[in-house]
Amino acid sequence: MKTLEEIEQLSAEELEQKATESPAAVPEGLRSRLRMTLAAQEFLAGEEAEKARPVRWFPYATLATAVAAATLLVALPGRGPKDTFDDPLLAYAEVEKAFQTISDKMSVGVDLVREAGATAEIPQNTLHKIQIK
Amino acid sequence: MKRILILFAALLLSYSAFAQSGKSIYQKYSDADQLSAVYISPAMFRLIGRIPDLETGDNKVNLTPVIRSLTGMYILNSENASINEQLRSDAERFIKNGRYELLMEVKDHGETVRMYTVGSEKVIEGFVMLAAEPDQVTFICLDGEMPRDQFEGMVAEQMAR
Repeated sequence: MKTLEEIEQLSAEELEQKATESPAAVPEGLRSRLRMTLAAQEFLAGEEAEKARPVRWFPYATLATAVAAATLLVALPGRGPKDTFDDPLLAYAEVEKAFQTISDKMSVGVDLVREAGATAEIPQNTLHKIQIK
Repeated sequence: MKRILILFAALLLSYSAFAQSGKSIYQKYSDADQLSAVYISPAMFRLIGRIPDLETGDNKVNLTPVIRSLTGMYILNSENASINEQLRSDAERFIKNGRYELLMEVKDHGETVRMYTVGSEKVIEGFVMLAAEPDQVTFICLDGEMPRDQFEGMVAEQMAR
């Protein structure tokens, strides 16, 4: 039986040779324990990767925040244009003027339709007269 | 990262299209030279609503019954040749994006007038008039909920006269 010091002085090749000369019996269940250890290591490595993943969502979160902030800025009350008139009577007059403009433009269209209708009636009346004769 | 940038650019584009409104057009052009701009806010309309008997001329289409339902009005009248085309283009984009329907188009003596409405079968939620002459562009945008049958009834009434 060699002492610990003698064993420590042996080279790797000599150790390997001694091991093959007197093979030790593999403890029962070593294979399954090794598999379990490896599986546990893999599982732990996966968990660490999972923990690191939220960082990948950071740009999306920033983007969502930016869009929400822009929406708020546009939608915030008080950011609209300022009233042109302080006096409701002046505003009233301007609304009346705007409606007059709309009314005038609409009336032009209505008159054109009426004229077109009158023009379309001429051949209709002529055809009607011919049919009566 | 590239995907995020593309997504961000797409969001910005859609947002800018979404943000195009009567208000944004008004804010863009209201300070320009040779342009008159009028904005009447919902609060002012509430005040006007307390004034009785708004009237237009005898022989014109009378829109006054719907005036109390208005919540905002933007008017731009530009005689500035350098911005007329841009104003017209922006207004047309707003009309297109806002899903406005053409109510009436009149071409008379070099002037093109288009009137649009948006809303449901029963209610008009917006009215836009865009009048373009060679040297002048007028943009009128009305916001509010006007009963469609009332509005169309008034137009029909004028046509029957």
